[in-house]
Amino acid sequence: MPQLLLLLLALPLATALLVALLGPGRTLAVRWVSLFSALASLLLATVISISFAIARTWEAPAVDITKGTLTFDSDWIKYKTRENLLPLHTTADGTVDSAIQFYVGIDGLNIWLILLTAVLMLTCVLVSWTAITQRVHEFHAWLFVLQLGMTGVFASFDVILFYVFFELTLVPLFFVIGIWGGPQRQYAARKFFIYTLAGSLLTLLGVIGLVLVLPQVEADHDPGQSHRLTFAIPELIARVGTLNRELFQEVKQLEQAPADMEANLQQARAQLNYWRHVQLWVFVAMMCGFAVKVPMVPLHTWLPLAHVEAPTAGSVLLAGILLKLGTYGFLRLSVPLAPDASLRFGVPVLGTLAVVGIIYGAFCSLGQDDIKKLVAYSSVSHLGLCMLGLFALNEVGLTGSLLQMINHGLSTGALFLLVGMLYERYHTRKMADYGGMGARLHLLAVFMVFITLSSIGLPGLNGFLGELLALAGMYDFAGSQVQGSLLAGLGASGVVLGAWYMLTMVRQVFCGPLKEPPHQGHEPITDLNGRELAALLPIAGLCLALGIFPKPFFDTVRPEIQVVARIAEAARKRAEKDAFGHELQTSTIHRFARNGLSLAAKGGERK
Amino acid sequence: MSDVRPYLWLIPALPLTAAAITGVFGPRLLRRHSHWPCILAGAGACVVAVLTCLAVYQDIAASEHSQPQQVRVYYEWIRVGDPGAGRGIEVGFGLNADALSAMMVLVVTFVGTLIAIYSVGYMHDDEGYARFFAEVSLFLFMMTTLVLADNFVLLYLGWEGVGLCSYLLIGFWFTKPAAAAAARKAFLVTRIGDMGLLLGILLLWSRFGHYLDYQHIFDNVQSAHKAGTLDYGLLTTACLLLLCGAVGKSAQFPLHVWLPDAMEGPTPVSALIHAATMVTAGVYLVARCTPLFALAPDAQVIVASLGALSALLTALIALTQNDLKRVLAYSTISQLGYMFLALGSGVRSGSEAFVTFAVLAALFHLFTHAFFKALLFLSAGSVMHAMGNVIDMRRFGGLRKVLPQTHWTFLCGGAALAGFPLLSGFWSKDEILDAAWTAGLHAEQYRGWYLVLWLVGLLTAGLTAFYTFRAYFMTFWGEERIPQEAFEHPHGHAAHGGTPRLESPPVMTVPLMVLAVFAVGVGLVLGPTHLFGHFVAHTPDLPEYEAEVPNYFMMVISSLVALAGIATAWWMYVRQPDLPARLAKSAQGLYQLSLNKFHIDELYEAFLLAPLAGFTTFIRIFDLYVLDSLVDLTGQLFRWLGLRFRPVQNGLVQFYALAMVLGLTVFLIALLLKL
Repeated sequence: MPQLLLLLLALPLATALLVALLGPGRTLAVRWVSLFSALASLLLATVISISFAIARTWEAPAVDITKGTLTFDSDWIKYKTRENLLPLHTTADGTVDSAIQFYVGIDGLNIWLILLTAVLMLTCVLVSWTAITQRVHEFHAWLFVLQLGMTGVFASFDVILFYVFFELTLVPLFFVIGIWGGPQRQYAARKFFIYTLAGSLLTLLGVIGLVLVLPQVEADHDPGQSHRLTFAIPELIARVGTLNRELFQEVKQLEQAPADMEANLQQARAQLNYWRHVQLWVFVAMMCGFAVKVPMVPLHTWLPLAHVEAPTAGSVLLAGILLKLGTYGFLRLSVPLAPDASLRFGVPVLGTLAVVGIIYGAFCSLGQDDIKKLVAYSSVSHLGLCMLGLFALNEVGLTGSLLQMINHGLSTGALFLLVGMLYERYHTRKMADYGGMGARLHLLAVFMVFITLSSIGLPGLNGFLGELLALAGMYDFAGSQVQGSLLAGLGASGVVLGAWYMLTMVRQVFCGPLKEPPHQGHEPITDLNGRELAALLPIAGLCLALGIFPKPFFDTVRPEIQVVARIAEAARKRAEKDAFGHELQTSTIHRFARNGLSLAAKGGERK
Repeated sequence: MSDVRPYLWLIPALPLTAAAITGVFGPRLLRRHSHWPCILAGAGACVVAVLTCLAVYQDIAASEHSQPQQVRVYYEWIRVGDPGAGRGIEVGFGLNADALSAMMVLVVTFVGTLIAIYSVGYMHDDEGYARFFAEVSLFLFMMTTLVLADNFVLLYLGWEGVGLCSYLLIGFWFTKPAAAAAARKAFLVTRIGDMGLLLGILLLWSRFGHYLDYQHIFDNVQSAHKAGTLDYGLLTTACLLLLCGAVGKSAQFPLHVWLPDAMEGPTPVSALIHAATMVTAGVYLVARCTPLFALAPDAQVIVASLGALSALLTALIALTQNDLKRVLAYSTISQLGYMFLALGSGVRSGSEAFVTFAVLAALFHLFTHAFFKALLFLSAGSVMHAMGNVIDMRRFGGLRKVLPQTHWTFLCGGAALAGFPLLSGFWSKDEILDAAWTAGLHAEQYRGWYLVLWLVGLLTAGLTAFYTFRAYFMTFWGEERIPQEAFEHPHGHAAHGGTPRLESPPVMTVPLMVLAVFAVGVGLVLGPTHLFGHFVAHTPDLPEYEAEVPNYFMMVISSLVALAGIATAWWMYVRQPDLPARLAKSAQGLYQLSLNKFHIDELYEAFLLAPLAGFTTFIRIFDLYVLDSLVDLTGQLFRWLGLRFRPVQNGLVQFYALAMVLGLTVFLIALLLKL
């Protein structure tokens, strides 16, 4: 039933249009339509994920992924749709053999992120109920465009489609921050937009470079076959994997061969070396966009600003989902498409930056007096842990990283909700203005402590499992590129630092003698109401459920995580056996550029 | 009798249910009856624990020489990767009832239930009555999970969980700034240790075969040791990392600073969490990991040294404190230090059996300490309850007529703690000194050092007797003084007319008396008869053990030291009440050093927290003004470039034509040159 996924994409689009058409007068209608649409999305996403999880739990053991090529096997993608959007080349008998496609589907890597998007969208509509009073219909329209973009990125299996959705998320958030944000909203929106756009343009460059160069290198290696262009991620991954294996095997075989094959050996080595440099540049280019999005220190400075200025719904989605686009990009594209570069370049560079981010973000959080900024910087720290697990490049670390993405979406999303609820009551975010609020706002305090515990990784709640697996994965890192135990040991300091800044905040705001900031209006401040509870309860419930019963999560993500892990493992084995050096040839860059250009020219000729 | 161990899950499940019921229905529905779920669950768990102990004992009796069967209850929690092939993580909610766990769980549930009953009286008019019992129930769940876990991750769950409950209960009166600060401090300081524990667990997992359950790790290490392939440096590192966790949780030097502050919580909490159960988790962890520690003598000597140092240091601090609860808190650290001294003495000295002997000494002290220290805290709570929450010993005195029952129970607990001959503290402390002494005589390494540690232990025994009885005499002897608050407090019952009755209600005094009986008798019943040793020694993974001949020499020495301490206290605080003040004046420097806890808090503030705060400020400013400015500068750079090129777009057609001609010329020349 591929319609379910298409419906999940069409629903936000339709809602956005409908809400925009309702116009400025009918505020209440806009809110209710939005609420129903968000509920429907959540229902759809829940049905999809549960049916998928059930299928996985019962059928997964039957699949033997050791056989065949390493790819996200397309039989395993549920609800997939694959339509040609822009045919580029047609064979003699009229079938299109290379095209940019509308190729979407559900697999283990994206299912939980899609569900998370739907959950957070519902809370966003609920929390905007009273917080947004100006241009309500526009706000909700942008919110649903944002949902379309986010769901689209996760579901895309075509690199161009991926990129389109990736950039589509920028526009609505730009307006959400720029129109409904705080005093510095325009500066924040502009900075956020330009910074991430600049990064992702480089990502596009890397992706296109790979798509264009791959057939060229394949043709060099194996001139007999025709090698068509492809934009489909599973196919790209399979072909990159095959090429990696064959080029390397050829070199190894020729090294054993008699001396008169020396010329062939040199040629094979040159080919391999060239291909590795292509990978390296592709990786670096993709990294630029994703690392800004994650954000990795030192590319994070747009984040606190954007968070502080954004309205609550914007912050929730920004922290909960949009940052995951970066880590998801690394997981879906960078590692499988450039495994050797991920190992040789990504692990030392990004692994180190991840640890720096964990510590740096934590100290930044400690130094803040603005609660929202504290939470914003804590994202830098938490996503550092996520990246640490990802670049452990083994099954444990990758699973931990993916889980950490979900965890961070839930806990930090909820923290922004709670901060927003406090702000709505007292119109200040300075911690020094508060004190002893636990005595005044019991329920809010209970939720804040609960979410804090999830955020600082208390076992039994979700945060712990992500932390444990990410650290364990890095501890167990098998290659010689970095000292895994050292990185994990340093990363573990996040366990203490995270507790430090979060509990300092809890103590300042919720403990001690009651100190209430002055508030407008004469009505006494009340505790959470039903609407706010409805926004928080699903998140809290998921935190607990994932913490004590994570089995469905692990079972669902296993096959795809194993694919990525095996791709990385193969790269590690190659690196181990690699005898000859990896010196940079000056001609490489030229050749890269030349191949790319000539291919582009050929593409033009075919038209 | 049928075997109850398949129902082992009831032990944690009952308190968890109670916590959930009280947490949800307590504030609205149960209100003043909120204690019932907690007490019933505690009692139920205690019954199961007793039956479990009996079942384990039957097994031991039935098969004298073979290890008893362990019973596991298992439910999958984490399964990632391929654990079978040694490349993943597999963790279950696996519970395990061997002798060690059974003993621990018995202590926890028994003392926990008594303290819950006591709390009915102590907390009876508190606003957060339901919240208190919900949190105590949650604590019982976490603590029983900790000691029953069959793997390190589940242990870590319990470990962090009891830390959470400790945080919540220290900060129970969260509107008091001191309580809020103490709660945060306790959580953070122990978390520093927990980070070490987590890394230790990961190290064991990563380097010893990708397992997380005790059995596999111990077996792997043991077989590597026998095959001679064991990396002892790595094992020592792992042990030291585990020790970090133990040091944090059991409040040993240098992470001991949180425990005295934790006395801001309600007194039953101090008794339950910060004396009898949670703080012994570190001792339990090291005892559980004996198979690892026994192979790492370098780690063991650090365990023993830290223990001895903590014992001495905090005993010296306790000499001059005026807050009754803080005296007891320091004495808790000191007694836990004793246990670590014993654990650390468990190095191979001729025979393997000695390791077990040392571990048993530590566990026996843990066992007796749980009773007498809980008793002392609850008695102190009873005093505090009667005195209108005044706990400064300088403000009351001569209470033995006013609080007759509390007086007797405090005396029992104090005498047991001081090591008065034949009371329970005497037997267990004696075994610890014996262990250190034996290690000093026969250890394969560090022999002389263990003798020094033994001497420190002996000295501490004297100090313990002195400060315990100092507190006792200051509180219950001398001229009768009662602070004004006692009569203002509703417990004074002055409203009924006549002389106010200050003694606590029976719901509080009965648990005190039960504990007093145990504090007095449990050592004599279980110690010299080797019942305790024989039972716990049958924990799998502990080396084979033979009961040793009692060391009468050690008994005599430790009795003399204890009696000397008590006599000195009597001399200084009953016979010559002005002597302490004169002594303090003549040794002003030493007195101040002890009174101010050797300035350790201030040292941390100056050399750790202040630099970190400075670093935080630096990072904040760096992030705001350096990193972000760089980003803005990059933006400005493009703006500047754009400004430079703007004159080119001047709208003059002639200029554009000229540019085209020039460009074409350059292109043509380049083409010609290439040809």
